[in-house]
Amino acid sequence: MDWKYVKKHLKKKTVPRILLMVMCLFYLLPLYWMVATSFKGSEELSSFPPTLWPHKFIWQNYRDAVEYIPFLKYFINSLIIALGVTAGSVLSNSFIAYGFSRIQWKGREVLFLIAIATMFIPFPVTLVALFDIFAKIGWINTYLPLIVPSFLGQALYLFMIRQFLMSLPKDLSSAAIIDGASEFTVFLKIMLPLMKPVLAVVAIFSGVNAWNDFLTPLIYLQTEDLYPLSIGLQFFRAEHNVAFSQLMAASTLAIVPVVILFLLFQRFFVEGITVGAVKG
Amino acid sequence: MTKTEKRNLRNGLIFVSPWIVGFLCLQVYPILYSLRLSFTRYSGFGKPVSVGLENFRTLIQDPLFTKSLYNTFFYTVWAVPLGVVVAILIALAMNQRVREVAVYRAILYLPSILPLFALSFVWIVFSNPRFGLLNYILQGLGLPIIDFIGNPVWTKPSIVLLAQLGAGGPALIFLAGLRGIPRELYESAEIDGAGAMRSFWSITLPMLTPVILYDIILGLSMGLQVFTQAYIITSGGVNMAGPNNSLLFYVFYIYKNAFQYTRMGYASALVWVLFVISMILALSVFKWARSWVHYGNE
Amino acid sequence: MKRSVLILLTGLLCLSVLAANGKKEDTAAASGSDVVSLKFWTSHTPPDSDTLKAMVETFNAGHPGIEVEFIQVPGSETDVAKLMTAVRGGTGPDAYMLDRFTIAQRAASGVLEDITGVMNKKDSAMASAHVPYAWAETQYKGKTYGLPFDTDSRVLYFNKDLVKEAGYDPAVLDPSNGPQTIEFIQEIADKINKTDGTGQYTQVGFIPYDTKYSQGWHYTWGFVFGGKFADLASMKVTPTDPGVVAGYQFIKDWAAHMGPQKVETFISTYAPPNNPPEQDPFLIGKVGMMVNGDWVLHSIKQYHPELNWGVTYLPVPEKGDKPATWAGGWSMVIPTGCKNMDEAYEFISWMCGEEGEKMYMKTAHLPTIKSLLADDSSFDANHLFFKECLDFASSRPPIPAGALYWDGLTQAMGEVTLNQGDVKAALQQVADQVQPQLDALK
Repeated sequence: MDWKYVKKHLKKKTVPRILLMVMCLFYLLPLYWMVATSFKGSEELSSFPPTLWPHKFIWQNYRDAVEYIPFLKYFINSLIIALGVTAGSVLSNSFIAYGFSRIQWKGREVLFLIAIATMFIPFPVTLVALFDIFAKIGWINTYLPLIVPSFLGQALYLFMIRQFLMSLPKDLSSAAIIDGASEFTVFLKIMLPLMKPVLAVVAIFSGVNAWNDFLTPLIYLQTEDLYPLSIGLQFFRAEHNVAFSQLMAASTLAIVPVVILFLLFQRFFVEGITVGAVKG
Repeated sequence: MTKTEKRNLRNGLIFVSPWIVGFLCLQVYPILYSLRLSFTRYSGFGKPVSVGLENFRTLIQDPLFTKSLYNTFFYTVWAVPLGVVVAILIALAMNQRVREVAVYRAILYLPSILPLFALSFVWIVFSNPRFGLLNYILQGLGLPIIDFIGNPVWTKPSIVLLAQLGAGGPALIFLAGLRGIPRELYESAEIDGAGAMRSFWSITLPMLTPVILYDIILGLSMGLQVFTQAYIITSGGVNMAGPNNSLLFYVFYIYKNAFQYTRMGYASALVWVLFVISMILALSVFKWARSWVHYGNE
Repeated sequence: MKRSVLILLTGLLCLSVLAANGKKEDTAAASGSDVVSLKFWTSHTPPDSDTLKAMVETFNAGHPGIEVEFIQVPGSETDVAKLMTAVRGGTGPDAYMLDRFTIAQRAASGVLEDITGVMNKKDSAMASAHVPYAWAETQYKGKTYGLPFDTDSRVLYFNKDLVKEAGYDPAVLDPSNGPQTIEFIQEIADKINKTDGTGQYTQVGFIPYDTKYSQGWHYTWGFVFGGKFADLASMKVTPTDPGVVAGYQFIKDWAAHMGPQKVETFISTYAPPNNPPEQDPFLIGKVGMMVNGDWVLHSIKQYHPELNWGVTYLPVPEKGDKPATWAGGWSMVIPTGCKNMDEAYEFISWMCGEEGEKMYMKTAHLPTIKSLLADDSSFDANHLFFKECLDFASSRPPIPAGALYWDGLTQAMGEVTLNQGDVKAALQQVADQVQPQLDALK
């Protein structure tokens, strides 16, 4: 056994490994506690010192979370909103980004710069006025204020798709244009299929963001039958008698779809974040 | 203008028209609309009554305005730099050549996409002074118990900590940045006898500065918007947003004025202050960035 | 491949548009029949909401032409964000239960319908049927904006076992001995306090200013110290009134005595945000004494009937002082935009009439109708004490900035307890903030 080799291995592999594990531990602890608490009975919930692992697994908490809390209703509402926003973001941003990248026209760069600049405006700046405007046109207590804006493009996604489209060679489309195809045909027939990877990223991010959104539904939705999970759970626990174990069970269930999506499309998550941003 | 140019202009405008509509209807118009409202008293019912500069005068004397501004700055000043440091640390860890690194990467990244409302629920249970795991661990380490929700000294730091669960997102960008650094740079540094620390400070960090700028800008914008965690942890901020209003963040105060107190005019004045502040901050960060961001050999 | 993507996206688009618009149609369809359907919103939580639901069912059974839907919404005494946003969006309810002292403020902002006309048409005796202080709270600029629904009074609850453990005979605290002094209550409370190895409280005697699990509000102690919170004649708030200042000084000193931060930690440990009622720290025996209202009688019965408890007067500053307390209560209002005023009034006047108020007494609430209050036989023994406390109860000033004033006073409370800030300065700040708003609305 070569001591030097061991030392080198230790430095190169073991030390980083331990560091990584410690970091992961920090990030997993809250989630671990969520799951552990979700199985505890009411006695164990307030026992001191806290039990690190539920002595008795109360599966009933999960049944309560789904049956006592109208979890399924909230879940479906969340899903509808997320799907609507995803559809809007993918359609609009691919279309708009095409105009910002594949067509050469006067004023394009200036407009795009303005689009990018809007990223720095915190969205609550428009909150009060938009509420008043949407109230006047009767959009309160519908999903319209949540979904329609996604059909009008978002700076971040525009930026991502544009970066992608700029990297594609010019003659991909110019040949078709010369052959007399319209820009719309080129967009639909040639570019859209090529955009699939970056659109997957946009779909995932916009969907997850809509799933997680709290402030917008809080303001625009008033009746319980429309609540998504985010405000549904908060309000339900404010109005009813919800044990913390049930709340943790419901939280776990609210997180699961995101985790599944992540595990299925890990590649896109990792890519999505790095597309465009690196050279930003 | 040639025929092609004309056609391109028309086509280009058609393609970006949804964005133009969105920009005008969802950003420009509302911002001007709230400017108008900010000079009125308006409950949302009836007609706005013009009151001149009254809202801005009230605002200067309003201790809660000052408090919410302070709270928001406190959060931003801590959360943004800490976020950058943690994200870089995670990126460095993710960049290790360990076989199962993909697993670690997934674990470190995952919390950043989880819903904040659920994490806030978890935080309430996790940080309970007596029954929560966090204080149990602190106690085990011989540290004093910390009341993360009831102690006004700790409420904001606790939200800063909670925000670090989201560092996995920016970390991935840093990771991409790390991978983009040419290996020759390190090799020549090693020949010059530079240690790991030296090459981190003189190569890695400067090469990451564009990403750091991006992260700071994004963090600032998010920091000024912090709301959900505070709303959930204080049960909607009824009566008070946390002990001594220590979690009354700026957007929270806008929300309370607009929708709990129905002072839409006053809320609009607050909105305008936020708008001006965020513009000034973004511009000054860009200006400041010129002195330290390294644009390499592009 | 590209086609399947397109089809999928179009499908999603249709789905979202459908989902976004779906709501409108079914509300339109429902109004086709002869039955008028009304929506009633309340932010009350169990067990009160269960009673309210039963009341709505009783009303529906007796009124075939009206169908009231009972809906629980998030909110609280001073947080009516859901109501405000819904009414703005034209999706508001036809009846809402509002904390009565905020009626003037909500009426001023335009969220409530003036019910004077419909009331005078139907029964002009409404005003004289209710106790005067409750009725006064329903008025704004000479018009009626709501009907009084219930009232309450605050007393001192105590856990007999903990008092006994501390070395005192719980019988001393019996109301027949009259009100105890604050000094004596503090003496008992100190003996009940227990700390663990780290110095944190695991059991407390009495936190007079807790508002998370009990009712240690500013108004409670302001009234105990004989304070006046507003001058109605000149429409001025008077938070710097000597009695109010004394009340704040009392809680400030108490906090200093117990350790402000340790108290806060106890509260966030045992009464975290949205703590379920069966985990209430008084009900599980972690708190020796607390200020609270009559509704707790019902919670005890429902969640912890084994608790060995008693009630007495709120303590008084000096031996021989007259007892004091405050009475609040809720009201039924009709939010702006209601399309069926007659039916909505029918409903709220039933809820606030003899039949409704009597039903609500079951979850330990006091009626506001004089004839119901006069009949001792309808109260159970425990509840009777609360009713007797009404004789010397004060109520919050019915000013059009009531909610704002409440929030300001609450902030001042945090400032003097947790921060140990200067009492007069904190209260002066409340006046500076509220008075301009009041001037604009009065």
